[in-house]
Amino acid sequence: MRRSAAVRAAIALLALAPLFALAVGVGLSLGAGTLSLSAALRGVEPDATVLFRLRIPRVVLAAIVGAGLSVAGVALQALLRNPLADPFVFGLSGGAAIGAALSVAVTGTALGVAGVSAAGWIGLLPTQFAAVLGSLAASVLVFTLGRARGRLHPERALLVGVVFNSFASALVIALEAVLAPEKTQAVLLWLAGTLGYEPQPVLVAAGAVVLVAAAILTALAGRLNLLALGDEGAAALGVDVERTRLLSFFAASAAVGAAVALTGLVGFVGLVVPHAVRLVAGPDHRVVLPASALGGAAFLVLADAIARMLFRGLGTEPPVGAVTALLGAPLFVLLLRRRT
Amino acid sequence: MVGLVGPNAAGKSTLARIACGLLRPATGSVHLRGDDAFALPRRERARRVAFLSQDEPADLPFTAREVALMGRAPHLGLWALEAPGDRALAEAALVEADALDLADRPVSQLSGGERQRVFLARAFAQDAALLVLDEPTAALDLAHQVLLVTAVRRRAQKGRGALLVLHDLALAGAACDRLVLLRAGRLLAEGGPAEVLRPDVLGEAYGTQVDVVPDPATGHPLVAPRIPR
Repeated sequence: MRRSAAVRAAIALLALAPLFALAVGVGLSLGAGTLSLSAALRGVEPDATVLFRLRIPRVVLAAIVGAGLSVAGVALQALLRNPLADPFVFGLSGGAAIGAALSVAVTGTALGVAGVSAAGWIGLLPTQFAAVLGSLAASVLVFTLGRARGRLHPERALLVGVVFNSFASALVIALEAVLAPEKTQAVLLWLAGTLGYEPQPVLVAAGAVVLVAAAILTALAGRLNLLALGDEGAAALGVDVERTRLLSFFAASAAVGAAVALTGLVGFVGLVVPHAVRLVAGPDHRVVLPASALGGAAFLVLADAIARMLFRGLGTEPPVGAVTALLGAPLFVLLLRRRT
Repeated sequence: MVGLVGPNAAGKSTLARIACGLLRPATGSVHLRGDDAFALPRRERARRVAFLSQDEPADLPFTAREVALMGRAPHLGLWALEAPGDRALAEAALVEADALDLADRPVSQLSGGERQRVFLARAFAQDAALLVLDEPTAALDLAHQVLLVTAVRRRAQKGRGALLVLHDLALAGAACDRLVLLRAGRLLAEGGPAEVLRPDVLGEAYGTQVDVVPDPATGHPLVAPRIPR
């Protein structure tokens, strides 16, 4: 690694660009129905509507979520010095599940009506709104409980997050037993990671959140490298460890919150894309962060295209969260074996 | 080149950390080149004092060259991107610490002695006026101890101060210009090796009998424990 970090980052992004372009091409041309791209571009209906109203927003959505989850995964793995950390490790998955389940429970009550109108005002469905509120509340809770003597203790926060996620799944199972099964099933399926069709302002807002979070984390990348030396080692090199933790924690949580609002809990992307990028590009976060953003976007766009393709065979669309794991696990093992 | 010596739990490592501005003293103040260490911005402080800890991580995925470049971190801007000058300084630091042959190997694959040279290169690359090393020779064999101490001495001769926490009194006496002897958090003796490494002073500090004889070749005091047999 004799090249500078900026050059290596540029090389990684250039190498990933064709992959991303390929994923976008597949994402635009594959789907439940057949589509002629040239016809759509000439304005022939219904191809034009399918392309501009359905396929493009869907690809953009997948790219935003994939990028957001991947950069959050990189940041949390660095922050916790733990390779098993994923974007939901700080209790976010549990919080989202509780929020979504509660949104079903309160349907029809005054609280439910208020929730529906609040969600509608932002442009989200009540379940989405409840899930993102739940996940953000959980991250604040875990963050608060993970602090002691004015400092965030990563191990402590990790433990609280894991315990909270278990508590949340127990609570959701209890709620399922009480509520009408057909209502909860739809919600839980959405929660497993489902890409839908979001209104344009929602996409723009989520895209902006992910972009800002990725920029903040990339600016912190040099400091995330130094955290590998331990808190004291990083401090001796001029890093404000506490502030770096706070900033990257909140940037990652915002990116994950945006992803949860759009799609529920898409697993695997945020865990595996960072590792795959590290296997190829090395451990330097100044390279890993931007490369993971692009790689994660490409990966989820591709996984979503495959999920939609499966609709043709199955007559139903599996949650993209299932496809990411089905597709990602073998790919990752392949990469791991080739490299070591 | 100043050696910080004394029995276990004398407060040597604590004092070393205070000198780096990593720990705040209960009373008193720390000045780095005339400025209060705790009033300086962190990065400015890291440009004035470099620290090599006793427990640097062993499982780093970064290469030796990347670790040496980490020493440049307090000198970098917003996106933490190194300029060619930073890379040249890191390379020179690797040469100075006798670690250039390790440059492209991941630190996790190095032996303890090799790793210590790489971390020393990182501290050198930091280009600070003062270098603080907490028991840098603890895990090293004799040859590597000599190598490390020699590299630090070469630096000290170029006008860079060094403060070393050392357990080995013979090494401290041979390598350091001045010694500071601590016991139970208090200063017991301070001065040239011959003034500090005296049987009566060491006897009081460590609570055990020692003999001190001059090295026949160099005249440095040699400390020998007296073990009943």
